[in-house]
Amino acid sequence: MAARGVVRVRVFGRVRSAIDDTEAVTRARGGDLDAYAVLVARYTARAHRAAFVLGAGEEADDVVQEAFVKAFRHLSRFRAGEPFGPWLLRIVTNETRNLTRSRRRRTALALRLARLGAADPAGEAAGGPDIELVAAEQRARLLDAVQALPEAERQALVCRYFLDLSEAETAQVLGWPLGSVKSRTSRGLTRLRALVVPGQQAQVCRD
Amino acid sequence: MTDRARWQGALESELRAVGRELQVPSAGDAVTAVRQRLQGRPVSRRPAWGSGAVHHHRRWLAALAAVTAVLALIIATPQGRAAILRVFRFAGVELGQQPGPVPSPRGHASLPGQRWTSLGRARHEVSFPILVPGVLGAPTQVIVSDRGRVASLIYRRTRYGLVRLDEYAGHIDQLYFKKFANAANMTEVQVNGASALWIKGPHVLVYVTRDGYTASASARLTTGNTLIWSTRRVALRIEGNIGQSAALAIADSAR
Repeated sequence: MAARGVVRVRVFGRVRSAIDDTEAVTRARGGDLDAYAVLVARYTARAHRAAFVLGAGEEADDVVQEAFVKAFRHLSRFRAGEPFGPWLLRIVTNETRNLTRSRRRRTALALRLARLGAADPAGEAAGGPDIELVAAEQRARLLDAVQALPEAERQALVCRYFLDLSEAETAQVLGWPLGSVKSRTSRGLTRLRALVVPGQQAQVCRD
Repeated sequence: MTDRARWQGALESELRAVGRELQVPSAGDAVTAVRQRLQGRPVSRRPAWGSGAVHHHRRWLAALAAVTAVLALIIATPQGRAAILRVFRFAGVELGQQPGPVPSPRGHASLPGQRWTSLGRARHEVSFPILVPGVLGAPTQVIVSDRGRVASLIYRRTRYGLVRLDEYAGHIDQLYFKKFANAANMTEVQVNGASALWIKGPHVLVYVTRDGYTASASARLTTGNTLIWSTRRVALRIEGNIGQSAALAIADSAR
């Protein structure tokens, strides 16, 4: 009995870790919840980070759950061979928008840096504690400025730089034409320029 | 290298550094929760999957429209307008007759930060004793919301259909829910010799967070009827398609 159980677990474990996204989607489409669990486990952290930084705040877990449930129901619309990540993040983004729209405020949006003033190994090697502190302060100011940007520009910059998505992925995730991603990113960067170019501090847009 | 390319490159690498240093809490266990939700409904293998949800959604909207119509009627009469001003609190619930926040059109309303858990774990996650009605037995699902502020016991297959029991620390003077119901549908009753409130018919329910904000995403129309009562350390509200005597029997059996 025990021996059989061990074998089963081992086989199951191998199957679980071996299947790729395409295979998992195909099986999940057929109603295989184990295969879908592989995708959920694989993409939870990425989906959660996206929901959190796009404004879901502490409701990010709810958004992620909701997005996975919806994604499962809409698997028939997923085109075989397409990357699963951006397709899922599109649903996560929509769910986050529903949430922030219904909340009508962005209090949960206050993103923070994890290590303001804390030791940064790279910074320490490069220039010692003073430079490091200045860098941390500058980053905190930059983060505040990103959060104060007009909504579309903020979303573009968050996707491009905080979530490390390409322009094409950002277009898919936000549901915009590629041109809008480029122009909104560029406008957002221009507004933030004062924070990296010395002597222009006074011009920072804080509306 | 143009001027723009220079500062843009510097800015982009700074933004990426900010992204790496963002404080992002770790994700909860989505695997279990998603599986439970997917198993909780009949799984069709065809794309027709969503049609049940759409149907449910329409029914929900229709019911909401009916409530809004009733509220509009109340507001239209002088007695109604006077009644709107009467707001009172009972066991952590504020009862008013304004329409309040319009529930988000999402078919799925949820309390903030809700997590599926077990009864045993839930008892460690909340600061108040979780009471379980003996006549209902073990709940189908247990949910803890808003960092242990509310525990919900969900019973899917009772003789009354779906029954939901929300429990919270009612002895503290805090607000947990706002309800918008017609005063004519409220009756004062007794549970274990203490005052309780019986509300007949669906009404709009919205959750109030620790800092006093209403959580719009939680706004929904309740199902059936509701009974609110409290003990020394916990307040409870039960809702479902239950009659008054059944609700009182369930409340009496909560230990």
